[in-house]
Amino acid sequence: MTFSPVDNPALSGLLAGVKVVDLTHYISGPYCTKLLATLGAEVVKIERPGPGDPMRQVGPFAEPSKTPPKASPAAQQPGDEAAIRGETGAWFLYLNTSKKSLALDLKCQQGREILLQLVKTADILVENFAPGVMDRLGLGYTQLQAVNPALVMASISNYGQTGPYRDWKATELNLYAAGGLMNITGEPEREPLKEGAPLAQLGAGQNAFVAAMCALLYAEDSGQGQHIDISIAEYATNILENALMQYSYSGVEYSRVGNRGYGRAAWGIYPCQDGYVGIIAGPDQRWPQVAGIMEREELADPRFASRQGRLIHADEVDALMLPWLLEHDKVDIFKAGQEDGLGFAYVATMQDILEMEQLQERDYFVPLDHPVAGRFKYPGPPISPHLFEDSLGKSGGGPGGGLNSAWVYRRAPLLGEHNGEVLGELGYTRSEIDQMKAGWVL
Amino acid sequence: MASPQPLKNFRILDLSRIWAGPYCTKLMADMGAEIIKMESLRVYDSHRGPVSPARGVVAYPDAEPGDEPWNRNGWFNCLHLSKYGITLELTEESGRRVFERLVSISDAVIENFRQGSLERLGYTYETLRQFRPDLIYVSMPAFGNSGPWQQYVAYGIGQEQLSGMAHMTGYADDGPMKSGINHGDPITGSHAAGVLLAALRYRRRTGRGMFIDVSQQESAVSLIGAETLAYQMTGQEPERRGNRSPHHAPHNSYPCAGEDRWVTIAVTTDEQWQHLAGIIGGDALAQDARFSTSDGRLQHQDVLDELVRQWTASREAYAISHQLQQMGIPASPVLRGPDLLEDPHYRERGTFVEVTHPQVGPRWYPGVPWKMSVTPGQVHWAAPTLGQHNYQIYHELLGMPGEEIARLEETGVIGTKPTGSRII
Repeated sequence: MTFSPVDNPALSGLLAGVKVVDLTHYISGPYCTKLLATLGAEVVKIERPGPGDPMRQVGPFAEPSKTPPKASPAAQQPGDEAAIRGETGAWFLYLNTSKKSLALDLKCQQGREILLQLVKTADILVENFAPGVMDRLGLGYTQLQAVNPALVMASISNYGQTGPYRDWKATELNLYAAGGLMNITGEPEREPLKEGAPLAQLGAGQNAFVAAMCALLYAEDSGQGQHIDISIAEYATNILENALMQYSYSGVEYSRVGNRGYGRAAWGIYPCQDGYVGIIAGPDQRWPQVAGIMEREELADPRFASRQGRLIHADEVDALMLPWLLEHDKVDIFKAGQEDGLGFAYVATMQDILEMEQLQERDYFVPLDHPVAGRFKYPGPPISPHLFEDSLGKSGGGPGGGLNSAWVYRRAPLLGEHNGEVLGELGYTRSEIDQMKAGWVL
Repeated sequence: MASPQPLKNFRILDLSRIWAGPYCTKLMADMGAEIIKMESLRVYDSHRGPVSPARGVVAYPDAEPGDEPWNRNGWFNCLHLSKYGITLELTEESGRRVFERLVSISDAVIENFRQGSLERLGYTYETLRQFRPDLIYVSMPAFGNSGPWQQYVAYGIGQEQLSGMAHMTGYADDGPMKSGINHGDPITGSHAAGVLLAALRYRRRTGRGMFIDVSQQESAVSLIGAETLAYQMTGQEPERRGNRSPHHAPHNSYPCAGEDRWVTIAVTTDEQWQHLAGIIGGDALAQDARFSTSDGRLQHQDVLDELVRQWTASREAYAISHQLQQMGIPASPVLRGPDLLEDPHYRERGTFVEVTHPQVGPRWYPGVPWKMSVTPGQVHWAAPTLGQHNYQIYHELLGMPGEEIARLEETGVIGTKPTGSRII
């Protein structure tokens, strides 16, 4: 089966025709609208004239091109290093693929009027300002609904739009802690840990995408839009699984167990010759094969046969596995387990991921050229919807019902790159647009 | 009057197990989709736990597995709220006929078996379309439906490693650290739910179904995708830095009064630092030039962490958080299980819901992870016991006569008691 990414605006995607007004910045909101854009929705990202999304200034940065195109800020504002750098940040470039950028000042009347014009024909608006900011701008749900009763508005915030912590300030660190995930990450005798990646914000962005799709389906059924309130901390509380259920069911608290999943051996991360591996003794009935793989008969001891046994004798099991692990490489260990049907893994570095044979074979990475940042391999869509021809069994991403590809993937926009296009569609003339630019509306 | 359900017109035949697939359909179930969770009596969802578990396992109510432990496991029961539960053996001819009828009335089929498992039973997307031409089929094996690793298996914990998440998580002086949960599962489940809804919308407009190929690994890599770009730009692997930030300091978890009590504090601006310094060290600290800029604070973060630690150690985590938030400083307590259920914020927002399960009694569960103003959705009922809705689905939905259902029961094709001890 092959998958064909499309970098051509003429081709559409699963959500072709859906219009999204994107008032998001940083991480959670942009990941939500990235998913919508990847499926073909037209996402117009509204950015503050001048700096744009503050994520543009978060590094690391690519070396900027020596010959930037005319449209880029590097050419328009020679010597403005922040503007040039703002087109080259890894996080911004990744989180904003397939979107359009409109630089628009929402603090001035004309800027708000333009926004309301966009809202009038939009299906979805996503924002992640602090609660109350949209209201203060005169762009609260009530005002937006007056313009477009079918509008779905999704608001992502730290703790949600209501409740005693509504106005609490937070970074990923604080949200991971308040959501209950931090308490269960790390060594029992050391401080609780957050993840290296901002998984609470990204996960809340994912769930905002799901909720927005539910509301869109309802709006198309009923003509009625609604306001969705997504809290990043609540995303964390929603995925605690057994860590919460164990307490809820038995009153026994779950706490940190380091690298031993649920406290037992062979369900976690171990050192090996060239890095780290995941020795994961699942499915359960395949445990005896571990003894064969590691050439240690003692591991087949019936005391270790059950999960409970490997919990009680965890130190002993670990000690038996370690010598073999330290003599073998991570990919070899991973494959030895997998060839015997065990869910082994390895701790992949970024280089490992870029070179991973499975991802290469599936053409997961999509090379994209950016006029300022240059050419890089971008992770493709997280999921591949795959259309089939009407005749049974014939598959392909080719033409079908006017849809050429289920997803689209384009580079992130330059700041204000689509000012002319978006405002032109609203009926503004070239000279009006130039005037707005001079007056810092754009 | 009950509020409208945005997904009430959709029926999903759910063969998925453990966490990734069930999280996908759980999100949809609370929004009113009809989720028919199908299990085998021989190999039921392993999240139900073993047929004969040891006593004292804390996944069960009061650590007591009881007579039917497969119906009393909290891991399973928190992921299957609001779903219907049926049993069916696909290895039996009579079971296959029933399955095909179920497919014919379902909008989508979702499974996360090892790649090719259903195909070995004779079912592919193409053959299933014979029963439902516009079917949407969501297949979510660990590594997708193509490529050299397609037959490999992986759990959420493995996906955290193969996606690079584990590589960038851990104490600064130590190796990679697993998370307390298995992030790969809910990440894939949520991605799959969104794409499935987009596919249902597309089908509603075009009449066309589709095959949705989910690689759980690709789904997880997508979340940390920016780091793969960063590496291409700099040649530098992401560092493990504990709770510290490359941009801000102080930024950590700090011990508080009480056993294993912690607070997190993240200073992101000079102004926030001035306030914090004033509180913990007075004017002298606030005016210390070493710490006046974020570069200076990053450079001296060992000193800063120690100063903050000395101040937090005798204070209470909630009290610190309230005090610092009043000054606009990002801070929060590290909440534990009991804290979460009692926290006033989560109480007010109804973040956790109490649901009564017939074999467990009332217990607290995570609720709907968002609020919607018109169609809020809700946890409708407790997780089904094994085969709980067999009669409802087979008789009331499919219209099968009582004798036919009885015959399936007699031959072990359906039922409510496990018939094997093998759990995958």
